[in-house]
Amino acid sequence: MNSKINRRKFLSNLASGLTFFTLSNLFLLKRLNAKSKPKVLIIGSGIGGLTCLSYLNKISDAIDIIVIDKNKSIRTGPLSNLVLGGILSEEKITFTIDPKKYRNVKFVYDEVKYIDSDKKFVKVSGDVSVNFDFIILSPGIGYKENIIEGYNPNNTELLPHCWDGDSNLKKFKKQLNDLDRNSKIIISSPDYPYRCPPAPYERASLIANYLKKKKNNSKILIFDSKNSFTKQENFFKEWNLYYNNIIEWIPRKKGGRIIKYDHQNKIIKNEQGNKVKADLIHFIPDQKASNIFFDSGVLDKKNDWCEINPTTFELKGFDDIFVLGDSINAWDMPKSAFSANSQAKVLAINLINKILGRKFVDPVFLNTCYSFSKENRAFSITAWYRLNTSKDRIVSLGSSQSSINSSHIDRNQEASHAFGWFNTMVNDLFL
Amino acid sequence: MKKISLFLILLFLEFSTVADDVSNLIVENCTSCHNLNNYQNKNIPSLQNLTKEEFIKVMEKYKDGDGNGVMARISKVLTNQDILKISEIIYNE
Repeated sequence: MNSKINRRKFLSNLASGLTFFTLSNLFLLKRLNAKSKPKVLIIGSGIGGLTCLSYLNKISDAIDIIVIDKNKSIRTGPLSNLVLGGILSEEKITFTIDPKKYRNVKFVYDEVKYIDSDKKFVKVSGDVSVNFDFIILSPGIGYKENIIEGYNPNNTELLPHCWDGDSNLKKFKKQLNDLDRNSKIIISSPDYPYRCPPAPYERASLIANYLKKKKNNSKILIFDSKNSFTKQENFFKEWNLYYNNIIEWIPRKKGGRIIKYDHQNKIIKNEQGNKVKADLIHFIPDQKASNIFFDSGVLDKKNDWCEINPTTFELKGFDDIFVLGDSINAWDMPKSAFSANSQAKVLAINLINKILGRKFVDPVFLNTCYSFSKENRAFSITAWYRLNTSKDRIVSLGSSQSSINSSHIDRNQEASHAFGWFNTMVNDLFL
Repeated sequence: MKKISLFLILLFLEFSTVADDVSNLIVENCTSCHNLNNYQNKNIPSLQNLTKEEFIKVMEKYKDGDGNGVMARISKVLTNQDILKISEIIYNE
């Protein structure tokens, strides 16, 4: 009986969160509009921040929205390893927001130096203050210092980690390009938790793919601060197939944890005291919440991550400050772009509910992390998440990953899906 | 099959309450990959091109089949009631 629905009707149902908006909401919005408009500040215009914006934008007649980010153009973490591996150009992961996409939204390109949680303002450069009623923080990740003697994660000019949009992909690509044949590369993989758990191994795979084509007889040693890693069996299978004798993985118990780095001689020392020399040493730093939380005194230095209310994403101990993405402890959820996207939807919907005086919805989240092993092969891990029965933490409903016996067609299709997800997301948010 | 059984053991919660909010949020998560705009995504099909009945059939096939693709794995957690409910939201009933 049901014929195909027309596009307009479909879009009217689904366009960013409208499943939550009824006529009564629109009535409430009109009433709210008559009063002074609440001011919502979004810090960070990456995937988490812009997903919040795309939902809040639906009520932008009733609220004032300001987005602050120091970068005018955003480079995505997703697919960035394909850029390092010479498979995609950097332009393919670099986006500038089309300002016409979001009406009644003010974009400020400046760095937030400090958040005053009591007086509800942020300081940007030049001592300028911006007030807020509600603030959403999606600033990405921070890096721990003094973990490896001789290595400073802030020195991205000399040692680009390429773990965020600020890092220097070109510089690292040049370092790879400058290698001779028969080179030895060390990749230092961090301890948990960190942004995008499978990414160090995807990076190793795609660098190996590059070395195989351009730098014969080169070798990658992954010094790992962990004894196992996500999608390990899938990676091992791919490495056996394509990078046999190129990638060697060294778990922590076998000397994988690096404790000292001698930059001048390009030598690392591990926990066991062994020294290894290499032609290129690439560190992926150990991680913590973004510096803005520590600098503003809303996160104690003895904690690495922001604790939040899992229904509202409000920062514990603070009113009207909301945090999502890589800087929070999201319990079973990994730190990923997909997670941030999913969390941002719940955060924005429940912030709208708060503004409208409605009850909060119980969250449901989804995460899928794709990893490429070469240009046309990928595999994934996926899980749904919801709250536990006491509603004080996010729990996984059980994660599942691609079979290690997947056919080439399956791997190829997952690569296609990874591009499909990425394209949907960047089209929704940026273009 | 082994993999699926292991998966079911791990599954200690499900969406079967079918509360409206839960179903709505499941749909919001579908839209992370299945686009809403006029943009034509050649890698992931739009739900616009299906009827409600076709959507239910496809989802049940993913859920009950022994495929290992990402949609097969994502749909394993959903009950038939969940699928019906989200189809009603998507296809505006």
